[in-house]
Amino acid sequence: MSTPRQRLFSAIGGVAIDALAGAYAGLILVRVVVPSVLYGAEGTGPLSVEECIAMALGTAGCVLLGLFGAGIGRSLLERPQRSGWQAVVTANIGWFVFALTVVAGWVYARIDPSALFSAQGLQGAGRIFSALLSPEFDIIGEALRAMVETIYLAFMATFIAVPFSFAISFFCARNLMNDAPHRRAIYVFLRFLTNFSRSIEPLIWAIVFSVWVGIGPFAGMLALVVHTIASLTKQYAEQIEDVDHGPMEAIAATGARRSQVIWFSVVPQCVIPFLSFTIYRWDINVRMATIIGLVGGGGIGNMLIQYQGLARWNEVGMIVIIIAIVVWIMDVVSARVREALK
Amino acid sequence: MDTLVSVRNLSLTYPNGYRALKDVSFDVQAGEFLVVIGLSGSGKSTLMRTINRLLEPTDGQVMVGGQDVTHVAGEALRHHRRSIGMIFQQFNLIKRHSVLHNVLYGALGEMPAWQSMAGRFSKEQVDEAMRCLEVVGIADRCHHRADALSGGQQQRVAIARALMQRPKILLADEPVASLDPATSHSVMRYLEVLNKEYGTTVICNLHFLSLVRQYASRVVALKGGAKVFEGMPEEITEEWFRAIYGDEAVEVEIR
Repeated sequence: MSTPRQRLFSAIGGVAIDALAGAYAGLILVRVVVPSVLYGAEGTGPLSVEECIAMALGTAGCVLLGLFGAGIGRSLLERPQRSGWQAVVTANIGWFVFALTVVAGWVYARIDPSALFSAQGLQGAGRIFSALLSPEFDIIGEALRAMVETIYLAFMATFIAVPFSFAISFFCARNLMNDAPHRRAIYVFLRFLTNFSRSIEPLIWAIVFSVWVGIGPFAGMLALVVHTIASLTKQYAEQIEDVDHGPMEAIAATGARRSQVIWFSVVPQCVIPFLSFTIYRWDINVRMATIIGLVGGGGIGNMLIQYQGLARWNEVGMIVIIIAIVVWIMDVVSARVREALK
Repeated sequence: MDTLVSVRNLSLTYPNGYRALKDVSFDVQAGEFLVVIGLSGSGKSTLMRTINRLLEPTDGQVMVGGQDVTHVAGEALRHHRRSIGMIFQQFNLIKRHSVLHNVLYGALGEMPAWQSMAGRFSKEQVDEAMRCLEVVGIADRCHHRADALSGGQQQRVAIARALMQRPKILLADEPVASLDPATSHSVMRYLEVLNKEYGTTVICNLHFLSLVRQYASRVVALKGGAKVFEGMPEEITEEWFRAIYGDEAVEVEIR
């Protein structure tokens, strides 16, 4: 059952999807598929006249098909029962667009299986793997020190982020913030802020901070702090939204203030899950800290990128082994601790 | 007797449009043990929550001790809630905290936020909490975690928490619905002690008519959010029973 309004939106949506799919199919055909079959290279530069014509034709074609009841738009939105040629077209037009995408993807990713199995390539791979498998033990002291730096860096990032996340999370929990318009506004604003900062990778934060405070562990730590605040706030807030409402009601019924209601009925229900999330986040941060080191965030990652730049693969092998062991130990330990906390 | 609670033409419609209470009026005299009966969803719990103003009515009036509390807010609202104790079907204790602390939380309304959050309850408050626990007979379990206690004991802790507020009125929302019959009576008897010995006015939602007949001094019945009966427990005849609970209902006894 749908209202006329819903049917209108559905029809407009269907035509829009048909038009987009048609334009897309036309463009991919003329810009990528045909040239790479004919000349072995895809189109470059801005849109040519031919490509624009192809897009227009594709759009017109698909919209026309849609009007005759065989577009993909309406089949996605409404799933109507069809028969005859419309059913055949509807069933296959989606696959056609998908196949075009696979071809375009193959071309753009420059996939070349022959490179993977060429004699020269295999020789290089053999050289690197044998070097990695015979690690240079002379640098083990230096590597362990850098690893310890990374672990502490990750720890400090978590430690500094936790109080911020804890404080902010209560303002990001819908169940605590939906009883007044100004609270809802704060909730929406903070949710936006944390979602936005979480969508920026720590790697990019590391680049920002390495310019800001100089290359080194401090920049890496700051990058992790920003990312950890955003991630933990979300996890904490979701936990708060999950608490049993009963104790909140009971404490509110005693005439307690809002702050007391949260402190005495919400917080006790959350401490253990919060602790669990925090330990897991430290574990994740150790892994991220090694990657962040690659772009100037200090620690073992920094060391790794330097030896890689010098093509000293035996040293790189040593570093990779240490990272793998530490990450594995952290993983096991944090899983055990979290299990014990349940 | 004095009228302690006066509910006038009370209606409450939830934001989703559900009309939980429709034009309900009744009075509660000081010292009464008023029992509210009705099917699940008849508005009993909503009615309770409009009296201690966990919910705000959309229409009508709630008077407590001669004061209009229908729309009080802020400090006045907290003061109003403080004067009314409440216990719940699910006990709603802070499970991870000790029994003693759960009782102390009954005093939260009368202390500064920072002091309570720093856990600085006074010697007098602790003594008072222990006295409340003695009233319900579980002072010896005061250092146990709340969730280590049985259901009946947890409800008694909840009664002690309400007692800590030195309430004029005690609201009991299905206090024995999660308990077995024997435990139900023990909890109901503590409510009776509060009512008879401490003079606390009790307003209690109940399911079982046998309990109603045993403990209630007066009965109000709700059906679909409206009051359908008000009178003495012995006046609930077979006809009334069917009117309140529907033709299909069969009375179950709890001894």
